[in-house]
Amino acid sequence: MQRSVNRIKTISGLVFLLSLLMLAGCATGTRSHHKMSEIRSGDFIIVTTTSKDTLSSLAAEYLNDPSKEWLISEFNHIKSLTPGQKLIIPLFSFNKSGLKSVGYQTVPVLAYYSFSENKPNKISITQDDFKAQMKYLKENNYHVIKLDQLLDFLDYKEQIPGKSVVITFDDGWSSVYDFATPILKKYGFPATFFIYTDFIGGGKAMSWKQIKELSEAGFDIQCQTKTHRNLATLKKKESFKEYFNSLEMEISYPKKLFKNKLNKECKCLAYPYGITNNLVIAMLKKHGYRAAFTVEQESNSFFIDNYKIRRSAIYGEYDIEKFKNKLSVFHNMELK
Amino acid sequence: MKKLFNIYLLLTILFLFTGCAGVREFFGEFVDKFAHRLPDKVPDNANILLSSSYLEKALEYEKNDKLQTALFYMQIAGTLNPDSTIIPGKITSLKSTIDHKAKEHFTEGVTFYKKQRFKDAQGQFLTTLRYAPGHKEALDYLKNRLHPKEHLNYKVKEKDTLKGISKKFYEDPSKDFLIAYFNNLETGKEPVPGTFLELPILGSEFNQPMIDIRIELKKAENLLKEKQYREVLDVSEKILEYDRLNKKASDLINSAYYQIGLELSGQEKYPEAIKMFKNVTSNYQGVEEAIQHAINKELFKAKNLLKQKQYEQALAVAGKILDYDKSNKTAKNLINTAFCQQGKNLIIRKNYTEALNVLSKADPQYNCVKKTTSDVYKAKKKQAEVHYLKGVKYFLNEELQSAIKEWEKTLSLNPKHKKAKKNVKNARSLLDKLDKIK
Repeated sequence: MQRSVNRIKTISGLVFLLSLLMLAGCATGTRSHHKMSEIRSGDFIIVTTTSKDTLSSLAAEYLNDPSKEWLISEFNHIKSLTPGQKLIIPLFSFNKSGLKSVGYQTVPVLAYYSFSENKPNKISITQDDFKAQMKYLKENNYHVIKLDQLLDFLDYKEQIPGKSVVITFDDGWSSVYDFATPILKKYGFPATFFIYTDFIGGGKAMSWKQIKELSEAGFDIQCQTKTHRNLATLKKKESFKEYFNSLEMEISYPKKLFKNKLNKECKCLAYPYGITNNLVIAMLKKHGYRAAFTVEQESNSFFIDNYKIRRSAIYGEYDIEKFKNKLSVFHNMELK
Repeated sequence: MKKLFNIYLLLTILFLFTGCAGVREFFGEFVDKFAHRLPDKVPDNANILLSSSYLEKALEYEKNDKLQTALFYMQIAGTLNPDSTIIPGKITSLKSTIDHKAKEHFTEGVTFYKKQRFKDAQGQFLTTLRYAPGHKEALDYLKNRLHPKEHLNYKVKEKDTLKGISKKFYEDPSKDFLIAYFNNLETGKEPVPGTFLELPILGSEFNQPMIDIRIELKKAENLLKEKQYREVLDVSEKILEYDRLNKKASDLINSAYYQIGLELSGQEKYPEAIKMFKNVTSNYQGVEEAIQHAINKELFKAKNLLKQKQYEQALAVAGKILDYDKSNKTAKNLINTAFCQQGKNLIIRKNYTEALNVLSKADPQYNCVKKTTSDVYKAKKKQAEVHYLKGVKYFLNEELQSAIKEWEKTLSLNPKHKKAKKNVKNARSLLDKLDKIK
């Protein structure tokens, strides 16, 4: 009898201890530990940092997005935190256009095509080179941003990090899926895939299954026409009416197909061969495209034409120095 | 001990139902409520010190021409030290400097833009926006007006057609479908005058005629042989859009219209046939005879209708003949005769007003028109006398109201009838007196 009473007491004690541990666990959550020392206003919060803080934890706490650490870092001109320092956390885009008295921000959009294991050529880059390029971006504090962020910057809606880069892949080669996406995932870099629909499921192309997988993994899938024809010129013996009808199909068909297959809105288009004309742009607008991309090898300011966004093609023969040259994030110009 | 156990039990239940989030929320609210009861977390003098340091930073930014950052720091300083008498003044002054600078650079930008110095204009608009990030006009210049346009706006004028506009802008009328497409116009519908159209600006490579005239002519000739006359017209008219003076295309068009006219004549559709013949040039062999033949057929039809006293139909047929042949005497005779007949019928029905109305549409120089019009007036006068005498009879029978009605009818037919006028007056006066006696 005494033994069973003791057993009950031991079990009750264990349950009590366990529940106490669980409740204590709750106490060590992410809730603000700054409340007592912060000063809030409509546009800013002033916090005194503690040894527990990081830029990313502050961004999570006050901007509801840990990836917005750069906003705090750039406003306060700091790269890391010192405990006890007073920081201003701006609650708005304090420089939407990236304008400074000495110039303005530009965003490089990198365009890749296919990949090979070890034999580079003009449009095919090796996995090692790509790895080195992504590593360079990470180690040199470049922010690889999503295409939507770039579009918001171009529409003068949202500020983006000072050193922003966009990564895109054209055509829909399966080698991109095999060699590039594992590296992107490793670094947590977003990317956009411009795919022409007639290519899908072909010999060296990605399958719908692979594209769907990329889309579900958070990668952005956008259009690159149906057949990859040159949109800017007539084919031999093609009448203007035939050309017009062909444009209409190249522009409208992929949009519908992606909507059906991926349930995703195709709002951007990469021009095959990077070439366009007024008629193509007018038709893109009519079909509700928000932006389109060329391969004019320069970076983009916020005031670029949204239907002539430049991209720097990264070719297989590029070494890391040539790659660095494509990463221009500021244009010098006196603005006084 | 019991109290502690109760709190423990409560927390455990909360945890079981809501997890950590619920427990934190519970404590969070508790802590927040407690914190509100505390005095200011930072003492006033500490805030004032912080405010001074931010104001100092603001002044430094101002000195370095970073005016927006300076303004932001000044506003922070002002929030920290709301009792400051200096900061509000500094904020007002800085805002005024910002406005002034933005205005100055924007004006300069517009001047450069007007002089087509676009690069310089761009620099000025960027500077404007650096000083005043909310400057919508500067942003509009940078995002829209400084970029080459991909379309032109065109205000539709009276008598404009899509083909005409297309010819004007693209030197190619066949690109009318392009205008319809980009302006959501239905095929075959012309644009409404006063509305604006967007016309995509095409590169010169698209402005060349995209047809081979020789091939098209051959095509049209073959179609004529195959008696596909409407198709001949389509192809030949397209050729003329590019080469207005192409004689072969004109000849093909004449042949097609002539043949269509003959086909319609064969089907006794003479008005439609005449319409087609009228599209053929007058010197085209056989066309005048074909038109006369069709007209004669129509005149015959009109005469028959007149005989059958179907005046409206007769007038319609004869009227159409005049549309094609304005001086056709027979058609004119038919029309006037029809009006006279209608007039006579209306006299019989004592509808003199309508009779005069019908006759007014006829040519007054025609004898029958003159005579019938005179007959209307005579009949009116005669009828007026009938009513007058009826009135007299009523008067003698002391039926004053009925007498007045008859004389009024007399006056409506002949307003100058003196006796009727006088009698109406007297009868009314008598009626008044009788009323007073009663």
